[in-house]
Amino acid sequence: MRRAGAILWKDLLTELRTRQGFSAMLSFAALVLFLFSFAIGPETELLARLAGGLLWVAIVFTGTLALGRAFQSEELAGGVRLLRLYPGDPRAIYLGKLAANLVLLAALEAVLFPATEILFQADLGSHALPLAAVAVLGTGGFSIVGTFFSALTVHLRARELLLPLLLFPALVPIVLGAVGATDAVLAGDALGRAGGWIRLLTAYDVILFVVCVWIFPIVLEE
Amino acid sequence: MNWQRTLGILALVSVAAGTLLGLFAAPADRLQGDVQRLLYVHVPTAWVAMCSFFVVFLMSTLYLVQRRLAWDLVAFASAEVGVLCTAVTLVVGSLWARPTWGIWWTWDPRLTTTAILLIIYVGYLIVRSMTEDPDQRARWSAVIGVIAFVQVPIVYLSVFWWRSLHQPPSSPRSMASSIGGVLLLNVVAYTIAFAYLVLRRYRLAERELALELAGPERER
Amino acid sequence: MSGPAVRTAGLTRRFGRRWALRGIDLEVARGEVCALLGANGTGKTTLLRVLATLLRPTAGTVEVLGVDVRRGGDSIRGRAALMTPAGHTYEELTGAENLRFAARMAGGTLATEGVREALARVGLADVADQPTRSYSTGMRKRLELARVGLRRLDLVLLDEPFTSLDEAGVALVQEAIADWKAAGAAVILASHRVDDARRQADRVVRLERGSVMAEGGSA
Repeated sequence: MRRAGAILWKDLLTELRTRQGFSAMLSFAALVLFLFSFAIGPETELLARLAGGLLWVAIVFTGTLALGRAFQSEELAGGVRLLRLYPGDPRAIYLGKLAANLVLLAALEAVLFPATEILFQADLGSHALPLAAVAVLGTGGFSIVGTFFSALTVHLRARELLLPLLLFPALVPIVLGAVGATDAVLAGDALGRAGGWIRLLTAYDVILFVVCVWIFPIVLEE
Repeated sequence: MNWQRTLGILALVSVAAGTLLGLFAAPADRLQGDVQRLLYVHVPTAWVAMCSFFVVFLMSTLYLVQRRLAWDLVAFASAEVGVLCTAVTLVVGSLWARPTWGIWWTWDPRLTTTAILLIIYVGYLIVRSMTEDPDQRARWSAVIGVIAFVQVPIVYLSVFWWRSLHQPPSSPRSMASSIGGVLLLNVVAYTIAFAYLVLRRYRLAERELALELAGPERER
Repeated sequence: MSGPAVRTAGLTRRFGRRWALRGIDLEVARGEVCALLGANGTGKTTLLRVLATLLRPTAGTVEVLGVDVRRGGDSIRGRAALMTPAGHTYEELTGAENLRFAARMAGGTLATEGVREALARVGLADVADQPTRSYSTGMRKRLELARVGLRRLDLVLLDEPFTSLDEAGVALVQEAIADWKAAGAAVILASHRVDDARRQADRVVRLERGSVMAEGGSA
């Protein structure tokens, strides 16, 4: 949809101009990874084993921050509902925002994955392809549900509390799946256990995507 | 109002009967002793928690299709009762697990899913409490209700899988057939009680809504 | 394409226990300029938003450009536009980029010259490439006017178009209204600036606490 593209372009342009959003995300993610390193201790073997889990925790924490800001730019411009004044399917708004969030998280992960490899001595590089697939599926699922609930909670007072609260149940399969698959891939079991998790993630992503896209217009209604 | 009272009496009687039977008539478990009798509370409340969740989903869908606030109120009533049941399920389960297996909590798939269910309910209710306009409230609640229902089976699946990968699945639920009858009675009793409570809560919610919408029309 | 641009019967809109609109009956013909007057909080904005299909009516029938708002919202949005009091601008984007975005959201594209031209018409040519963060309130208002004027419209809804504008700006708005009327579009303009609103109005409708209090021709 061209209108979704317009929204994507607008959001990315805004992000490029300010850059504070992305650098805040980056510093936060780095902080999370460092703190975990310190908390767990210098045992390299332990760190390497936990790398998958820690990486995804960092992604989820940072991602939730990003989601909180996703619709804030709309609020500053007068409210996301004003976008409904234009003709066309309001679902384009959801798709555009979803795409923008994905791009942002992809940029973040492009830094986080190498950082994890360095900090935790995890050998991510040699499994780049399957890990990329897991990253896409995990981040995709996160963004699909996250963008949806972000749109819903932007109008509520306790937004910072409610978004994580609503998001958490949705994240359980994603985190379990992404971490499970990442760990399996790193352990060298690319098609076996990882395959099972990947199938779960794919099913989850597809189902949630269909439902969220379908229901989205109701969130914006007044 | 007439059959509300009948339902209430029926609920009271059946729950009382079920509890008494569970406490005294049913045989004690060989290994666990009397603690096992908590089963007669734990399983029915878990069942009711699942039921109420399904009702929330059903009513949410109905509301989205018909846009009648009545459906939203039933969903709300069911959610409130459901939160209670879920909390009780978790507490009783914990009380049962401690003397039996020595642990307060375990990442058993059913238990974990129940805990997540509680979080979903709480989120649902908090969103409701923060939205003032009844139509807006109904819309958002319905949306959450529908999505939550879609999520839960997958949550259960993923936790189950996760557990089975790390440990052999241990199901602390092996039941002798002699206690099946008492259990069934309790399940039915609690279901009736659930229906009654939801009905009462719905009626109350109806009146609350009317009060909300009335208020001084002459403003400024 | 005949029939009135707007026809409402018993239009009611409630926000919880607050009744913003109570049983509004209104008819605005095509090519007519209707001034909506009333103090702040009397329902003018709510009425315009219902007509723009942003809000659903709680009760009553509302037909805009011959289409029921509850059903054909999309076709209405393609031919009607709402000018909001605060405008719809993204601070980090330049004036030109904001217009480009608006054009794309409305379903078309605007070549660079088209954007420049639209900005020049509202006197913003020299700040076209500055982020709207730096615009004054009057400039944002002009940008909003440009945004609304991007496409061909059959119904134009203006919510407080005169506020924050200097004389030249007010003249721009009035010129735009005259152009729209000449092109056959209906214009509904809500303002608490009675004189400015009345000047070009064919009809005046006065709202008070959500109901139509008086109607009449201009002057």
